[in-house]
Amino acid sequence: MAALKEKRTCAQRCEDFGYFVWNPDTKQLLGRTLDKWVYISLYYVAFYIVMSGLFVLALYVLLSTLSPYTPTYRDRLQSPGVVMRPNTYGDEGLLIVYEVNKPDSYTPLIHTLQNYLTPYNRTEQHAHYENEHCNGNKYFTQNEPKDPEQKLLSCPFYRSSLGKCSGMDNSTFGYPDGQPCIIIKMNRVSMDLPPLVNVYFLFFKQKGEPKNLHNIEYFPPNGTFDLHYFPYYGKIAQPSYMNPLVAVKFNSLEKNKLLKIECRVVADKISADNIHDPYEGKVEFEIEIKNGTAVNK
Amino acid sequence: MTTEKSEVFMVEPLNRGNVSKKKNRFSLSSIMTRVRRRGGKMENMKREVEINDHRLSIEELEKKYATDIKVGLSPADAAERLDRYGLNKLTPPKGTPEIVKFTKLLLGGFQILFWIGSILCFIAYGLQVSSDPTSPRDNLYLGIVLVGVVVMTALFAYYQEAKSTNIMAGFKNMVPQQACVIRGGSKLQINATELVIGDIVDIKGGDRVPADLRLFAGRGCKVDNSSLTGESEPQARSSELTHENPLETKNIAFYSTTCLEGTASGIVINTGDNTVIGRIAFLASGVENEKTPIAIEIEHFVHMISALALFVGFLFLFISLGMGYNILNAIIFFIGIVVAYVPEGLLATVTVCLSLTAKTMAKKNCLVKNLEAVETLGSTSVICSDKTGTLTQNRMTVAHMWFDKYVHTADTSEEMTGEQFDMSSKTWTALGQVASLCNRAVFRGGQEDKPISRREVEGDASETALLKFTEMVLGNVAGIRDQNPKVAEIPFNSTNKFQLSIHETDDPADKRYLLVMKGAPERILDRCSSIMITGQEWPLDEEMKEDFQRAYMELGSMGERVLGFCHCYLPEDKFPVGFQFDTEEMNFPTTNLCFVGLISLIDPPRSSVPEAISKCHSAGIKVIMVTGDHPITAKAIAIAVGIISPESETVEDIAQRLNIPIEKVDKADAKAAVINGGDLKDMTTEQLMEILRNHPEIVFARTSPQQKLIIVEACQNLGNFVAVTGDGVNDSPALKKANIGIAMGIAGSDAAKGAADMILLDDNFASIVTGVEEGRLIFDNLKKSISYTLTKNIPEMVPFMVYIIISCPLPLGTITILFIELGTDIIPSISLAYEKAESDIMNQKPRHPKRDRLVNIQLAAYTYFHIGIIETFSGFLCYFTVMAEQGYLPGTLINIRVPWESRTVGDLQDTFGQEWTYYQRAQMEWTGYTSFFVGIVGCQIINSIIRKTRRFSLFRQNVLKNRVFLMGIASQIIVAAFLSYCPGMGDGLHFMPLRVQYWFVSAPYVILIFAYDELRKLIIRNFPGCWVDRELFY
Repeated sequence: MAALKEKRTCAQRCEDFGYFVWNPDTKQLLGRTLDKWVYISLYYVAFYIVMSGLFVLALYVLLSTLSPYTPTYRDRLQSPGVVMRPNTYGDEGLLIVYEVNKPDSYTPLIHTLQNYLTPYNRTEQHAHYENEHCNGNKYFTQNEPKDPEQKLLSCPFYRSSLGKCSGMDNSTFGYPDGQPCIIIKMNRVSMDLPPLVNVYFLFFKQKGEPKNLHNIEYFPPNGTFDLHYFPYYGKIAQPSYMNPLVAVKFNSLEKNKLLKIECRVVADKISADNIHDPYEGKVEFEIEIKNGTAVNK
Repeated sequence: MTTEKSEVFMVEPLNRGNVSKKKNRFSLSSIMTRVRRRGGKMENMKREVEINDHRLSIEELEKKYATDIKVGLSPADAAERLDRYGLNKLTPPKGTPEIVKFTKLLLGGFQILFWIGSILCFIAYGLQVSSDPTSPRDNLYLGIVLVGVVVMTALFAYYQEAKSTNIMAGFKNMVPQQACVIRGGSKLQINATELVIGDIVDIKGGDRVPADLRLFAGRGCKVDNSSLTGESEPQARSSELTHENPLETKNIAFYSTTCLEGTASGIVINTGDNTVIGRIAFLASGVENEKTPIAIEIEHFVHMISALALFVGFLFLFISLGMGYNILNAIIFFIGIVVAYVPEGLLATVTVCLSLTAKTMAKKNCLVKNLEAVETLGSTSVICSDKTGTLTQNRMTVAHMWFDKYVHTADTSEEMTGEQFDMSSKTWTALGQVASLCNRAVFRGGQEDKPISRREVEGDASETALLKFTEMVLGNVAGIRDQNPKVAEIPFNSTNKFQLSIHETDDPADKRYLLVMKGAPERILDRCSSIMITGQEWPLDEEMKEDFQRAYMELGSMGERVLGFCHCYLPEDKFPVGFQFDTEEMNFPTTNLCFVGLISLIDPPRSSVPEAISKCHSAGIKVIMVTGDHPITAKAIAIAVGIISPESETVEDIAQRLNIPIEKVDKADAKAAVINGGDLKDMTTEQLMEILRNHPEIVFARTSPQQKLIIVEACQNLGNFVAVTGDGVNDSPALKKANIGIAMGIAGSDAAKGAADMILLDDNFASIVTGVEEGRLIFDNLKKSISYTLTKNIPEMVPFMVYIIISCPLPLGTITILFIELGTDIIPSISLAYEKAESDIMNQKPRHPKRDRLVNIQLAAYTYFHIGIIETFSGFLCYFTVMAEQGYLPGTLINIRVPWESRTVGDLQDTFGQEWTYYQRAQMEWTGYTSFFVGIVGCQIINSIIRKTRRFSLFRQNVLKNRVFLMGIASQIIVAAFLSYCPGMGDGLHFMPLRVQYWFVSAPYVILIFAYDELRKLIIRNFPGCWVDRELFY
């Protein structure tokens, strides 16, 4: 086996490698002559061009089978998610902590809300989308557009309907008073039949049964999403669609205590029972409002 | 020349003793020289030299060992000594401690890469957690899983190794040896391991000498020192001091040698590792093992893959850093790429494939000790084989007879199925009578139910052969002897060179005595004045003598041991009934006898050997016979089994034919060569290599086991993979030096078995050839298995690259990759080991160790850059299909990674304006993993099918034949379906249930792979040597 285990010095190995890179005797570069390299490169180029072509063709066939307006399936989007503003995150998830006496602690929250509501100003939304369907609490069903140029109508949502939480009268959203507003949005989902939608809040004690929160104000009243915002026909058909919102004002939250609160969207086809997802059909968050006296205690 | 030859033949039995003695000294001293070279073993050497018990008188011995040769040790004394010196057994060669073995497995192969990967995972997780406590635990899990993979792989390999070691251990402990010892005045049978120094031991024919003994009494004792010296000629043992050297003197018997006949008593002077054989065995274990070729191949391949993995990993580390990813992400990408690129399951697969073959080989009587040696036989290009026992049956058998002026052939086949000769002649009756009467051998009792050829016999080899022959042909030799009672006898001795006995006849009317004699043919003929032809006595004239001479030469040149037989009816008047025959004075005639015939004996070749050798030749394997036997015998057997083909000549043959001096013969004309050990001693290595190069058919005769080592080394220097067979302790170094040492299971000593890589359970050369076939098959199948396994590394790695470059959601998770490597693909890759040979592998040359690599450029290129790439496209097609149908068109996926992976984005829009929460996106990502996984699995199924052949079309192959393979494919589908549909997989392993139609998205690519590979095979078959053949045939 001597042939197999010749001990060679590093210099010899380097020399060998040098020969491998460029062998002047056979005019081989990395083990192949130049024309061999050309051949093999041509082969690979051709091979990859054909393969990529087939792939593009396959993708083209795939895309041509898809509807341009709505996705084919919603296997991983069974229920719409729910998002909340302000959305500051702590270790576990959404967490709102501020101190009533320290404007620095809540100004960013107020800014978030203000920014979020800006698109909902009356000036931002085109008035002509307003139409007769947007008055009654009925589904606003339309036919799918025939061609991509045709757009469907959407109902506008004005921030004024959020009342005390619209930030128009009281730009602080009640934060300095210890009565903060939060804004709830249900994610858009192209569901076949839109649900009857209502939101309500549960308050979780650290341990034990959840109980309903009292002294809450909903805007619009009853905390409902009007049915004329549904169904959603997708971004291409309904480019001007605005998610309806619900705002909540907590009037008597216990101070200086971290409260775990869950906001559920209650509707027929919406499930809020996914234990892994705290934001599907509901939004879970924690809130602590500190006031100076307690801190000084 | 003729007379010279017969002279050699005649003298042989005489000379043997001397030759073997010389050989003894040579072999032992050369071993000792080897000891001296190995530093720290000088202590052993000194003790070796210190043996002087052979010079002491019995009284001195009794005093020295505080024992009594009549009473022995007292049991209490013996127990005390046993405590002090330990058991009388050889310490098995100190294996590596188990923990070190395991640690080696933990750190060998790819394991280092995995350790680095898992440590990086833990670091990455630590960094992630410190910067964002909500970060997912994926990296922590991955780190744990990687450690798990390493530990599992190591445990698995350890288990496989332990299993094959256990086979060996069981093999060793099969027969506990007993010893007959005198203790406290009574004879006891005890386990030989309980012997202590000073014990008085009796040995008799058939026993293995249980310890080093200083003999103080011996009656016709002969020992076979072959386990010590490799020389199987029996040597006498008695109480006399015959030589200063303890290794040569007659009054010492060595541990592990066999007592052939007679009895002897002795004092135990050394036990266990202190025995001479213990010391030799100890040093043989020190000769370094060569690395097996498959180990070299795997090492080569592991290095190649590891280097590539690290190269690509670092490349993308820098690319991702250059693209602005932070260092933590870059590290995570690095881990992902390394995990994707390294074939985690491959080493386990190789281990299983090898152990499967080892099992198959064990069924065919090749017990493989070291798994990696399984393949070595397949790459063997030279086999150095013993003659006795391996090529031959290891029993002297009557081969020919000469009487009535004709040579008659006896049946020498193993099962006695050959033709019988003509027995009608009266001469045969006389010859049979002489052969059965003038014979001291007897069957041992209680063997009546055994076939004659298998019965055990008390007596030397020639007499045994004659006894069995006469028993077979005449039947009931004991009865014949009873009817012709022996009245006098002169045993064979080297001065007379004959053996005679005088019997009463079986005819009650005939009161004459019958004198029968056998011996060296010339000597017998000299004593004869007449010859029996067809039952009639004829005067022995010159013509008859010439006939005799011709027959004798003919038989002699066939390498047979020839014996002459004669008889004489003593005249009744001179030797009346009751005559007192005096064997000392020889008061009876020993000349003017009547010559009856010749019987020649040979150790006949095994019947399966010639075919095996011709297979070796067609497989391009050179078979070299290395034997301690006489050149003529060796050559005759070599011709009989085909090692030397009938038409080839040696230099001597040519010289004789052309009648020219040997020096003038052109050596290139001689295909064959018979080299004498004596000549070999004077040769330089270059000369020996010259001979090995020039002659395809070589026989080494009269060689010592040490010369075997030299021959092996010379073959290896010529670049050959050498297999060596051996049985003696002295063969151990050669067995170790060989690329694959093959010990004989029946005749082999434990030391030889210990040094060998493989044990032939039936001592049959033909088993080696089946081993070669299996070895070659597994090499081909490993190629298939490896190419199959490597293919998926590209579709596993590319997603990571795409992920980094276009910043899309990760198409294939690291855990998913591990499930392909260790879940779906394991059984199919193992099942490829069950493939039958594609073409006749025994008609090809042995693979060239440097050119025909297990994993070559062609295999890697075709696997990675052709099939691997197609599989990648297939995976991406599945991925994009699922993503698009669920809401994310390919265009949207680009550059979506940052918000996609952000936990604080609860409403990420897809192409259609739908908004997704973080967890919904995660599930979508896992669905993507699963779809990519399904895309790969689909292609891997067709990949495993196309890998079944490397050259032939699958249409010609019965694809359904390999049941295990079908099970492999079924397992692949079942595992994939289980992973996807078992509830709860999502959060643990990130597999999601898929719509049924998604399993078929890869169908176009499955067809494409099949068609592409068939096209490749078609071109390779039809245009051998073309560009495709050169670049894409692996």
